[in-house]
Amino acid sequence: MATTTEQVKVMTNQNKFPPWYLKDLYRYLSAFAVLTVIYMGFRIYQGAFAVSTGLDSTEPAFDVYWMRLLNFELVFITLFTSIAWGWLWFTRDKNLDKLEPKEEIRRYLTLTMWISVYTFAVYWAGSYFAEQDNSWHQVAIRDTPFTANHIIEFYFNFPMYIILGGCAWLYARTRLPLYANGISLPLTLAVVGPFMILVSVGFNEWGHTFWFREEFFAAPIHWGFVIGVWFAHGVGGILLQGVTRLIELLDGLEEAA
Amino acid sequence: MSANSSTRTFRPYTGEKARIARAYDYLVLVLALFLFIGSFHLHFALTVGDWDFWVDWKDRQWWPAVTPIIGITFPAAVQAVLWTNFRLPLGATLCVACLSIGTWIARIFAYHYWNYFPINMVLPSTMLPSALVLDAVLMLSNSLTVTAIFGGSAFALLFYPSNWPIFGMFHVPVEAGNSQLTVADMFGFQYIRTGMPEYLRIIERGTLRTYGQVAAPLSAFFSALICTLMYTLWWYIGKWFATTRYLKRI
Repeated sequence: MATTTEQVKVMTNQNKFPPWYLKDLYRYLSAFAVLTVIYMGFRIYQGAFAVSTGLDSTEPAFDVYWMRLLNFELVFITLFTSIAWGWLWFTRDKNLDKLEPKEEIRRYLTLTMWISVYTFAVYWAGSYFAEQDNSWHQVAIRDTPFTANHIIEFYFNFPMYIILGGCAWLYARTRLPLYANGISLPLTLAVVGPFMILVSVGFNEWGHTFWFREEFFAAPIHWGFVIGVWFAHGVGGILLQGVTRLIELLDGLEEAA
Repeated sequence: MSANSSTRTFRPYTGEKARIARAYDYLVLVLALFLFIGSFHLHFALTVGDWDFWVDWKDRQWWPAVTPIIGITFPAAVQAVLWTNFRLPLGATLCVACLSIGTWIARIFAYHYWNYFPINMVLPSTMLPSALVLDAVLMLSNSLTVTAIFGGSAFALLFYPSNWPIFGMFHVPVEAGNSQLTVADMFGFQYIRTGMPEYLRIIERGTLRTYGQVAAPLSAFFSALICTLMYTLWWYIGKWFATTRYLKRI
């Protein structure tokens, strides 16, 4: 049996990596790599300078090593938010009613990548640097709300995962028909709920000013953070929405080898 | 990728469709891994974290009571989604494994290497045996009621015995400064912290102390009772969050 031009085209496409439905794979992996470098860089910086310059906020060195870092973070976060959210909005698809099923499938996988990058940032904020807060405040006296770990945890990590959650929300809203026609409740819960964790920082700092300066993680002063993170369970609803739509799209797709 | 659908006759995908479904599965797996390390760990650390951080907080009354009560929350919520919709009997094990990964990384790099706490002082507890049994009970019974009562109880009752091989050695008595105390207490007195247990709370306060060596089993049984209720509550919390609704406006 002779091999036709069409078959050769299909075979060539099959061997192509990444395949069409994982077009954004390298961007996805790059996002993980960049975030890992940033977060590990912060940890190395803390290891190098926290004990020598981060224990007394009245020392001139504290301003140089920590307050400058805080200012840098705030500028970076502002710029990054503007660029990321602006890019997602201004490059939105204005013809969603003409979207091809294959393209929609690809975008569902890309949305999952966006949410995955969001959860990676949630890991650093909610797991590693959160517990590290407890560790640092056992040995450092809180004489400022901007401690050597707070500067990274509250003013970089928290905003960063909120921005990435916002990116996922905007991506879905601007590029997928179901999310453009209606506002996904679980996706909104999964993004807005953890955003409230940042707001809880205000209560946390207020309470630590008035009630106690020690670090006692189980104290009710921290429960605002806990309630915020429960909303991460909205991801279950996002999964169900995605799977249901993908099954519809895949069932309608012609069988390829 | 699979989902229970009443209208669809299940036929496994083949070829490219199967590859797409598999790619989606892997993406969701990565997503779930980081989601549950981050979220469950934060929830756990800020409610019962102190008992988990420090060896001298691991007492006979509060630790076996409060840790399973908080530990069963996320597993129940995730089981409600993964078992009901995908017939995946691994919600509890997934959550608890993620929690273990998160705590171990933090204890080594945030406590030991940054602030020089001995790793033995900050060993995390384990709930893996409890989670495995919880998943197994749900899989075998396919019943919320049976899992809440028997799985929830087992989750709590298994906690203390499964941690005893890790922490028992720190509860042997030593004599220091003309006082009898445990090795765990010695750690505490050697490494002064703002979260010193004797400063923030009095360990083993209450009439439960009257029962002597049966304080831990009593706490575990109390925890078992609450776990059956917490399991049911969090099952429905998980289901509520897993809504598929789209709104017109927010």
